[in-house]
Amino acid sequence: MEGSVRLDEVVMRFGDFTAIETTSLTIESGEFFSFLGPSGCGKTTLLNIVSGFLVPSQGQVHIGGEPMAGVPVNRRPTAMIFQNLALFPLMTVFENIEFGLEVRGVDKKARREVSERLLALVALEGSGPKRVTELSGGQKQRVAIARALAVEPRVLLLDEPLSALDLKLRQHMRAELKTIQRKTGITFIYITHDQGEALTMSDRVAVMSAGRIQQVADPMTLYRSPATGFVAAFVGETNRLEARLIDREGKRIRLDGGVLGELAGCAGEGVELGNGERVALYVRPEHLKPVSADAAGPRLEGDVEAVHFEGASVMLETRLSASGETLRVQLGHEVSRQYADSLTVGQRMTFGYDPADAVVLPDDRPVVDETTGEMVEERTVTGGAHVPSA
Amino acid sequence: MSSQRLLAFGLRFYVVVFFLYLFLPLLIMAAATFNDSRFPTVTPWDGTTLRWFGELAADGGMWQALGNSVIVAFGVLCLAVPIGISTALFLNTVSSRAKPFLYALILSPLLTPGVIIGISTLIFWRQFGVSGGIFLTVLGQATFIAAYVMLMVTARLQRFDRTMERAALDLGASQWQMFRRILLPYLKPAILSAAVIAFLQSFENYNTTLFVVGYDTTLTVYIASKVRTGLTPAVNALGLILILVTVVLAVAYEVKRRREEAARARA
Amino acid sequence: MFRQLRARFGGPLAAAILTLLGIWLIVMVTLPQLQMIDYSLRPNLLPAQVGGPDDRLTLGNYATLFSNDIHRSIFLKTLWSSVLVTVLTLVVSYPLAWYLAKVATPRQAALCILLLIIPFWINEILRTYSWFIILSFRGPLNEVLMMTGLIDRPIRFLSGDGGVMVGMVYAYILFMVFPVYNAIESLDDNQVRAARDLGAGTVRTHRRIVIPHAKPGIATGCIMTFMLAAGSYAVPALLGSPGSRWFTQIIYNWFFEGGNWNQGAAYAFLLLVLCIGFMSLVMKLFKVGLGDIAK
Repeated sequence: MEGSVRLDEVVMRFGDFTAIETTSLTIESGEFFSFLGPSGCGKTTLLNIVSGFLVPSQGQVHIGGEPMAGVPVNRRPTAMIFQNLALFPLMTVFENIEFGLEVRGVDKKARREVSERLLALVALEGSGPKRVTELSGGQKQRVAIARALAVEPRVLLLDEPLSALDLKLRQHMRAELKTIQRKTGITFIYITHDQGEALTMSDRVAVMSAGRIQQVADPMTLYRSPATGFVAAFVGETNRLEARLIDREGKRIRLDGGVLGELAGCAGEGVELGNGERVALYVRPEHLKPVSADAAGPRLEGDVEAVHFEGASVMLETRLSASGETLRVQLGHEVSRQYADSLTVGQRMTFGYDPADAVVLPDDRPVVDETTGEMVEERTVTGGAHVPSA
Repeated sequence: MSSQRLLAFGLRFYVVVFFLYLFLPLLIMAAATFNDSRFPTVTPWDGTTLRWFGELAADGGMWQALGNSVIVAFGVLCLAVPIGISTALFLNTVSSRAKPFLYALILSPLLTPGVIIGISTLIFWRQFGVSGGIFLTVLGQATFIAAYVMLMVTARLQRFDRTMERAALDLGASQWQMFRRILLPYLKPAILSAAVIAFLQSFENYNTTLFVVGYDTTLTVYIASKVRTGLTPAVNALGLILILVTVVLAVAYEVKRRREEAARARA
Repeated sequence: MFRQLRARFGGPLAAAILTLLGIWLIVMVTLPQLQMIDYSLRPNLLPAQVGGPDDRLTLGNYATLFSNDIHRSIFLKTLWSSVLVTVLTLVVSYPLAWYLAKVATPRQAALCILLLIIPFWINEILRTYSWFIILSFRGPLNEVLMMTGLIDRPIRFLSGDGGVMVGMVYAYILFMVFPVYNAIESLDDNQVRAARDLGAGTVRTHRRIVIPHAKPGIATGCIMTFMLAAGSYAVPALLGSPGSRWFTQIIYNWFFEGGNWNQGAAYAFLLLVLCIGFMSLVMKLFKVGLGDIAK
């Protein structure tokens, strides 16, 4: 059962508004693939195009190698798990799960066999005769999964299905979803704005912003080598420093940080940069460490403005002495204990980082008119949207 | 503060008087049924009797009219309920620039006096050689009762979560299967209520019916003619029976509706 | 429109929906009204003359109303009395609606609403008939008044318009109570409390806070009550006397006694215009739209 999904130059417009810019992408059969992005970035639109609720303005969708143009929702080999689950409240758990088979004319005995097997899979044995209104949030979630699996989809589409659950249950369901995906071998396409969900469960993640895919990569690459400023800022936390490129040696780049002095970093994935170009340097808070004021390598000096104890780590908010910009620094357990005396508001500290951990990307921040605060020009992301198609 | 209290007391007193005003007439009418007087009254009381029930039972015209009323009410049900449901689905689905106009047209039968609906129906069908009778009564009544059905179905339809529809289609249901298995069961309580209301509306209608009923007679028309011509307490006996039936139906319907509402609130 | 319906319900169901809607709106609602207007603009002719030279459009049927003093005065009386019934019904209903919405406990309110609904389910004819018994010459009301010594001889309540108006207020009161109640109920209690807190008395609180909020409900109640009163046949027929005829009775007579349907159609259309006029006036005065009314 081939469950690959291929998007060929798909564009979606609603009137004048372009919800999805030209997008091409292949999702492998059996992959757990996530679309991650803030609300309004177009990820749900993309899901609706795959499921058939929306017809793209341009481009083609192939599922399992077959073109989907003209194939209506109810004939596609996909099944969707809705954000609010959309269980049928007037039906029992059995009736919900068997609905897809019932409308296909499968006889009652065969239907019951399937629903019993799926209830076992989602660990809800014996709940079949219950009404769905009697179930808890987590149980409803499982019924929704079983109902979608009952129609033996090649691709399961999940639209933020965990967002209604509380934190503990959400974390538990993440593991469970991953297990079910492994057991069934079905392609999962998962939509979320929660990076934790996307990073923990997915084989690959597509980060989306403003109708455009910013980067497609496995979670670790996404975190370590973001391809655009948006990805760097949206996935995990980061500090952004503006600089000018001096020269590069292989991957290693020397930067002129202006008042901050000389800085260093590594070029992001597939990014082309020229000498003298304005760039942005991204350093994650956990990659910054206290160093002595005369240590070698890039140094950043600042005053501690706030200290947030976060359990396993300590987050410092510091103001850079040279530029006045805020720098967030996360200190692990060991380090914070070592510097316990210095972690007070007003304390001046110097931080350093390994240039291999810092990413240099083109300066893609829109230029803002300082008097009106309006965006006057949007810089195009060159070489940023690098979408590998397998 | 004492003037506030006086006002509050006054309001309570008013409410009591209001309900007396509402029920006293019905009680007096009911009481008059048992008065052994040739005219329907409670003063003077000429002795207690049950004979008016017997006279009522022997009244062939009454039974004939009752039969007609039931036939008409079923006819109205069969016409007004499907129309009302269709209209509600239409309004819930379609967005168009013509919609405000159509909406006004759809509501117009509710805002038109019943006599005019009767008159226009009578005039319209005359050109096809159809004169007053049960058929026209059904058409005339259904014209405005359909709008009531529409309002009741719409009220429930507006609370319907349309992702249910999407879920059904996504699971492979055809649009017809979705309608049959998801939307219609959801609307069922509203449709049943609307059917009950439609039946009663038809049963008690007078203004429209008067113009289109022709030489046939419905129960309401029969009662009205009795009141104006051969007035005896037998009319009261009929009224009392109808009141008791409606009260029982009304209370049962209300209790059922509240129980459902409570169940929904719990869910 | 068909496209949107088909996308949601599929072709056959969409066709069924549009067919039923079309039959209703065209064959049952619009065409009969148009036919009535057409009738009202033609003279009353013998069947042989229809389509002949005399069968032409004329306003003659409308002119009748203005040349016939009795009909004109009945028309104006119907208008005036219906307005009076509407105002009376509003005055009687408002305190109750206020009590139900804001004063009564939820249990009390639920009970009262049930009590209100019961008479509403009972036939208009029967409700009117019970007033016929009460108001009759030798009826209980006269007896009670005589017993208490307030009057020496029975009063003929049913000879003027008084009986008709009492019966109408009674018959249509629920069409006023429920819209007004629904509107007041949606008012935030805190607004009333705030007004009281700021020193507003009962009258001012109602005039400035409650009534403006309840406007759509009041408008709906007034429109429905006026329409029912002006278009009522049962109440004046049962409680009225020959001297207190209602306009609907004149219309009825044109159809079934005068045998002049064209004349009757003209009068019916005038009644409709009267109702539409009143509705437009109320909607303008209260600044509400059609959407507020159908609730």
